[in-house]
Amino acid sequence: MIGVINMTQQVQFTKAVGNASEINELLRRYGVKFGIYKNGVFKEQFFPFDPIPRVITAEDFGSMEKGLAQRVNALNEFLYDIYHEKKIVRDGIIPEDFIYISKGYLAECEGVTPKNKVYSHISGIDLVQAKNGEWYILEDNLRIPSGASYPLIARDLTRIAAPQAFEENSVVDNRGYAELLKETMENVNCGGARAILTPGRYNAAYFEHSYLAELTGSVLVQNDELFVEDNILYHHTYSGGKSRIGVLYRRIADEYLDPLTFLPESLIGIPNLMEAYRSGNVGIINAPGNGVADDKGIYYFVPKMIKYYLDEEPILKNAPTYLPFYEEDMKYVMANLDKLVIKDVAEAGGYGVVFGNDLTKEKLEDFRKTIIAEPRRFIAQEVIDFLDLPIVEGDKTVMRKADLRAFVLSGAETKVWASGLTRFSRNPDSFVVNSSQGGGFKDTWVLSR
Amino acid sequence: MKRVNFFYSTKLTFDDYVHNHSFALRIIPPETDTQHILSCNLNIAPHTPTQQTVDAFGNNVTAGYIRDDHRFLDFEIKGSAQVDSTKHRTDYMPCYLYQSQYTKPGCELKTFYENIKLKCTGTVSEKAEYICNMISETIEYKKGFTDTTTTAEQAFVLKKGVCQDFSHILISLLRMDGISARYIAGLAFCDGETHSWVEYWTGERWEGIDPANNCPVNDDYIVISQGRDFRDCAIDRGVMFGKYTKQLQLVRSELN
Repeated sequence: MIGVINMTQQVQFTKAVGNASEINELLRRYGVKFGIYKNGVFKEQFFPFDPIPRVITAEDFGSMEKGLAQRVNALNEFLYDIYHEKKIVRDGIIPEDFIYISKGYLAECEGVTPKNKVYSHISGIDLVQAKNGEWYILEDNLRIPSGASYPLIARDLTRIAAPQAFEENSVVDNRGYAELLKETMENVNCGGARAILTPGRYNAAYFEHSYLAELTGSVLVQNDELFVEDNILYHHTYSGGKSRIGVLYRRIADEYLDPLTFLPESLIGIPNLMEAYRSGNVGIINAPGNGVADDKGIYYFVPKMIKYYLDEEPILKNAPTYLPFYEEDMKYVMANLDKLVIKDVAEAGGYGVVFGNDLTKEKLEDFRKTIIAEPRRFIAQEVIDFLDLPIVEGDKTVMRKADLRAFVLSGAETKVWASGLTRFSRNPDSFVVNSSQGGGFKDTWVLSR
Repeated sequence: MKRVNFFYSTKLTFDDYVHNHSFALRIIPPETDTQHILSCNLNIAPHTPTQQTVDAFGNNVTAGYIRDDHRFLDFEIKGSAQVDSTKHRTDYMPCYLYQSQYTKPGCELKTFYENIKLKCTGTVSEKAEYICNMISETIEYKKGFTDTTTTAEQAFVLKKGVCQDFSHILISLLRMDGISARYIAGLAFCDGETHSWVEYWTGERWEGIDPANNCPVNDDYIVISQGRDFRDCAIDRGVMFGKYTKQLQLVRSELN
């Protein structure tokens, strides 16, 4: 079993990091929070940290790294192609419908070429490890994937609480993320300062926005501090002047980015930002329009993209996926509905995920009808029996489901951050590990040998 | 072929001072296979520097920013063009086959399509003309019942509307029938304001059709902008700060 940490090693890692309560106390003091909206009310909650790290061997990370970079390179090629020549559609690899019905496709971005042709500067790729040690891609997040700051600060605090952990174990330092992000931003800087655009402190990931701004030496801004004049993005300075922004890492969704191009009612966007972007006067991270590539329906085609654009075999596998859109797949889905997990392609954050075996007979039949009526809306996947990870609960260690969000940064080269956000479900019966659903997180250690 | 002089102006007046005003105008007619722009002057007051770009749909965008307090924004274009509607445009985009924000059909439009579908046969042009006839028999041209936010379905339920609504309804039905179609905003001889019509894709080229007048497009039409629906073609979009509550918009256009 390649890449699976054995019991003796696991006990060693668990002992090394010691007690969770101290680190959680530190996280609280640093204000490491995660905001969620429940029934329309904003609530900030602590994102519970489990001190036992997920550990990835050097060998395992080596192949994962190649696979992730390959995948992100193909996705970047795909985005350029879709917004320009559309060869992959013309050559019949992806049906046209899947592109233009996708909510993430933005016709407004047709023909716009971002600097150095990078679309997905920061990609959050979610993976799970099966019991046999093999990694599977669950989904790609190419819009504004969040979460990198959590393992970053947790590592820092673990160093304070349990410094011996890093003396006894050879773990790759993850503090390089700041440098990596800075490089990625500079690669598409069109002349000016680096800025991180936040919708404000009532956003789920506000902690992250401010933390990353501090680490990368970027200006943390809200939209009312910015304006576009002569198709150049400026920041109002305190003295009443203006200073130019060359690259904007925006943490707001495409639809809200520019009220003169997208939703006119957006109050968090910057008017005429798209004009500045189209003119090549500002880099936007990630590029607007990326949603067409991380659509759950497009996921099915990513291994085909790797062959099409790179002429390589995919290194990392997709979870076995079926598209009810294809007749043959529809037959399989109908025959095995009670064993599959069905995902609504339009939803995110762990919403719209249904496990066939959780449904009563009646509900299953209703759901069957919904799928038949709207086949393009769903994908079906085999439930992967993934590896449980130990977490501390009270004074016991229990086993829970967990996934891994790997961060891939595309600057001059595509690099994989040797860490990542491991999220786990606190509910023993749940496979859904999304932080919007009340889960916790772990640090991810990549061993250096 | 015809030589046409065009003029268009908008006066926006606010009932209080506004500032930090960003705007994007789609007002300069594009140079295309069917219209050669001989001259075109744009005047904006208060005087402000502007920048020109071309958007994804091929429209000329004039962007500007007025930082200081002002109570009005006026802009006008004046020019002349050589129009030749026997020539055809070929700037295709696949997104024109898919329903967009304003054209997404609801129950009523879908039912209407089901009822006319059997008789909708022949070439793409014959189908488009048939659908256009059916719309003129069903919808009455009447001002004051719809506005710029009205969707195809809403106007269809009202059975009343203006050129914008006729265009949206026709585009929706054409797309339901698998024919790509786009919204055109422009100037025409029949109107004192701006006009809108539709272009459908024959498989090789765009053909113009004017659903509000139920007639083909000839040399009396000047294209200002095009897109999936009205949203991509709004002549002016702006965001400004201030205490103002109302704006008055006066529009005048002329073709001769």
